[in-house]
Amino acid sequence: MKRKKPVLLTIYTVLFFLYIFAPLILIFIFAFNSGEGYNLPLRGLTFKWFNEFFSDSMAIKAIKNSVIIAVISATVSTLLGTGLTIGVIKGITRFKTFFITVLMLPVLMPSLTIGIAALVFFRTIKIPLGIPIVILSHVSISISYVFLIMMGRIEGFYLDVQEAAIDLGASWFGSIKDVVLPAIFPSILAGWLFSFMISWNEFIVTYFLIGTELTLPVYIFSQLRFGISPVVNVIALLITLFTILIIISAGLIRRLYGRLSSRIIM
Amino acid sequence: MNTVFKNNKKLVYPALLWFAVFFLLPLAIILIYSFTADYVFQGNRPAFTLANFNEIFEKKHYLIILGRSIKMSAITTFFSILFSYPVAYFLAKKTRFDRILIVLLMVPFWINYLVRIFAWKLLLSENGIINQVLLWSGIIDEPFRILYTQTAVIMGLVYTYTPMMVLPLYATIQKIDTSLVEAARDLGASRIRAFFDVTFKLSFTGIFAGTLLVFIPALGSFAIPAILGGTDSVMIGNLVENQFFHAGNWNFGSAFTLTLAALSIALILFYSRIFGVEAIYKSREY
Repeated sequence: MKRKKPVLLTIYTVLFFLYIFAPLILIFIFAFNSGEGYNLPLRGLTFKWFNEFFSDSMAIKAIKNSVIIAVISATVSTLLGTGLTIGVIKGITRFKTFFITVLMLPVLMPSLTIGIAALVFFRTIKIPLGIPIVILSHVSISISYVFLIMMGRIEGFYLDVQEAAIDLGASWFGSIKDVVLPAIFPSILAGWLFSFMISWNEFIVTYFLIGTELTLPVYIFSQLRFGISPVVNVIALLITLFTILIIISAGLIRRLYGRLSSRIIM
Repeated sequence: MNTVFKNNKKLVYPALLWFAVFFLLPLAIILIYSFTADYVFQGNRPAFTLANFNEIFEKKHYLIILGRSIKMSAITTFFSILFSYPVAYFLAKKTRFDRILIVLLMVPFWINYLVRIFAWKLLLSENGIINQVLLWSGIIDEPFRILYTQTAVIMGLVYTYTPMMVLPLYATIQKIDTSLVEAARDLGASRIRAFFDVTFKLSFTGIFAGTLLVFIPALGSFAIPAILGGTDSVMIGNLVENQFFHAGNWNFGSAFTLTLAALSIALILFYSRIFGVEAIYKSREY
């Protein structure tokens, strides 16, 4: 069957992508605009907002906190989540469906509920608000995301190899360390990256638990609520560049994964 | 082989323990708070009461906020389906560049949504960029006032959550067998009829998965109405925040939070009953 080119649909898709990207491009332009407000026409190129941003000690501290929280919670949740995934794929036999549904709750439930529940919990057991409890909560959320990502990518095949290794005389620990973990390593990396991004972007739970400290999203929120400084544009630009970097590295990992798996099969 | 499975099973426990203590236990605690009247866990045994829920469902003020949040999230979901269906269809059936376009679509998704909402504040404000352009070109004489209204909040919600709708739709439409549509056409169905009776009906799974991913976060949103909305767009999230940080009524705040949680859990269970749990994680292929 011959088909005409879907002209209208193509135009619509282009418009849709414009709709998604135009607001972002706009903020990038204003990050370099020397005018004070957001008035057209543009006034000319400047880097003063960048200077202002990098000399704002609050912003730098917020970034530092965000990185610390995201790295720690990604690492812990990837460790826990990897064990969870292996156990659920090859281990758990009863109540599997119920199990998976409960584990999906942090992904699907509004973060607001999670944040409030955590706030009430930590206040009830008298643990002061701050970065440590933000990490505790982030891990409890990220475990589910790591699980989600890894369940989607690890196929039973990689874990069947484990049984083969044991048949050939490997100990259980040896089969995990030398066979399973190397085979699923790309998924582990993907899980780490994913939970890093979840934690790095997380706003609501952090906002409820952070107390007087700052993370980058909390800092942005306070900037947005009380007046809008062009410094936010600079943050937006930097965040976008950082995000693109992460996405590219995730893509590279996936490509590597493809090569590795084809090598294993051959 | 049994010992392998037994040992593998043990790997589950650390994660499960963490999950139970820092995720499930907190939920259980707000459950207790919502059915009691005082600050609990301070020695005296709390008495069971339904007063908090009575207040939600009897006072008009709270019912209005609850209803408004549901309405706004429903409108958001509707528009996100409307906007993203053609794109998902195009990506799934009409282009070879779907992979790269999907990655492109994920870029804004990974950029903090506060940043993206900030862009909308710039666009919509009274001396914002859209107004400036429209005034300058003479299309309008007076600037429109949208910022700090429900419309602005809905626009922000739609913008933020629409990419979440595209992905499950794309995944479902891609799996639809084109020969079914051709068969319908051969049997005399018009193009439009074939689309609605075959393609559209078969993509219900995707629509429902997308609805979960859009409706639930929209219902629990707090930052977007706080930034783009005004007094007519207070949502559940803003009310709850107020209860905990300003009014200090934990029991009532917990009851409201629990109502939100119950609504979303009901939706999730309904979905996993119909389509199975695997559909939830399979619909989210990033």
